[in-house]
Amino acid sequence: MFSEPYMQRAFLAAILLGPLCGLLGVFVTARRMAFFSDTVAHSSLAGVALGLALGFRDPTWVMVGVSLLVALLILWLRERTDLLSDTIMALLMSTFMAAGLIGYSLLRGFRGDLDRYLFGDIFSIGPEEVVLAFILAMVVFGLLFVWLSPLTLLTVHPDLAHVTGLPVRKLNLVFVVLLTLVVAMSIRLLGIILVTSLVVIPPATARNLARNLRQESILSLAAGLLGGVGGLILSFQLNLPGGPTIVVTSSALFVVSLVGSHWRQRPPQPTLSRI
Amino acid sequence: MPDIHFHPGGLALEVRGLRVTLGNTPVLRGVDFHVPRGQVVALIGPNGCGKTTLLRCLLGLQRPESGEIRIFGRHITAEVLRRVGYVPQRLALDQSFILSVREFLCLKLRETRHWFWQSRRKTDGLLRAVLPEFELGPLLDRPVAGLSGGQLQRVLIAFSLLGNPELLLLDEPTAGVDTPGENSFYELITQIHQRHRLTVVLVSHDLSMVYRHAARVYALNGVICCEGTPEEVMSADSLRQAYGIHVTPYHHEHGPGHHHVLPPQPQV
Repeated sequence: MFSEPYMQRAFLAAILLGPLCGLLGVFVTARRMAFFSDTVAHSSLAGVALGLALGFRDPTWVMVGVSLLVALLILWLRERTDLLSDTIMALLMSTFMAAGLIGYSLLRGFRGDLDRYLFGDIFSIGPEEVVLAFILAMVVFGLLFVWLSPLTLLTVHPDLAHVTGLPVRKLNLVFVVLLTLVVAMSIRLLGIILVTSLVVIPPATARNLARNLRQESILSLAAGLLGGVGGLILSFQLNLPGGPTIVVTSSALFVVSLVGSHWRQRPPQPTLSRI
Repeated sequence: MPDIHFHPGGLALEVRGLRVTLGNTPVLRGVDFHVPRGQVVALIGPNGCGKTTLLRCLLGLQRPESGEIRIFGRHITAEVLRRVGYVPQRLALDQSFILSVREFLCLKLRETRHWFWQSRRKTDGLLRAVLPEFELGPLLDRPVAGLSGGQLQRVLIAFSLLGNPELLLLDEPTAGVDTPGENSFYELITQIHQRHRLTVVLVSHDLSMVYRHAARVYALNGVICCEGTPEEVMSADSLRQAYGIHVTPYHHEHGPGHHHVLPPQPQV
């Protein structure tokens, strides 16, 4: 299974991005930013169409650029208008996705690629993307290591973080940029439609079992790794599509954790010795 | 404006001519007041009177249109804010964010900012300064999002005191706290005021706490309508200025000097 170079690359991508999304997801879900991640992912379709229209064989960089543009637009509109965040995100998501679909319809010969971006194609990941994922993983893990406390306080209460002397705006911006980069890179794994599951399901799994943030972070990271690698092995063995199998495997882990949490919380049953 | 030279200890807080307009609504229309060092004062007013906006200005979160704020004689900077402890009304925490009380307290100290990699024994040792005073030992492993109103207030004050502040700003501190919890909360405030020699500013719409716990009261309604000792401010005329014309303070049985404001009555 691991003798094939494409399989080795797929595994490396899953090992790097699965845990990364899991750890980042703890803060994404606590800050109610799952829809933000969805918006950035869906809007990236416009970047794919633009990249192909500009003649790039691999439009990843343009896709990442458009995702960043949308993320910054969300922040800007949130500060400058009275619109609700959900409204802003729904507006941008539908606009950029529609623009992407129109762009695709005007391009000839790339129709087959649309599925790759919508549903992901982990087995077609190239060496350059693995290197990019590695660099991104190192940067994000490094920053999370340094900024874990500030990021946690920002999640707890932004005003309290400000009074404590933290640069709230800067931290917020860095978090949004990192999240956007991680989501954009992970689109090659799960596709635009399913990528948010990578930042939502592992933290939900962890929450069923954890008693504090340290446990939650470690378990979410482990759930991301297990879901990614386990899903990849299953998809190879059963000849199933990679992205959806990773999502279903992650969901199965969630169900197991849910059952585990109920079993743990179940009140002790009376035994003969107690009676 | 009273003469500041009557306060040889200096002023903890000085606000002059503060104006803030949100949208087209003037929320603060020239607020002037000062708080001498070491006092417990209350800033009261009805909902919508500008308390939150004023508090946001004091914390450097809202830029005023005009006017000046000085904390310990200096304009608001990150350095000045390090001398300020802020106790918010509540945390915007989702129940599913399982941050334990121990982990939350660790966020405050430089020595415990890498709590993720530190042992419990080490972090508890570093937090020892506040654990006994606030009886937080039994709460350390509890998730912050699952605490009762009174427990959360204790944790938030302990969090603030870990930074050794000289000025403590409390936003609606007893909102969501039951009567016994309210009493023990104010006992705690009195204790920490005496022990740490702090200046305490209580921002609240709750008049009952003003009477018993503040040395001085400022009633806000766009401007400071009246200020003085609790007895002076609780006089009906002063309250009417702050709360509107249909307001009457009344005494009742469950505590000496305990006042409430009657809701506005329809005029016949």
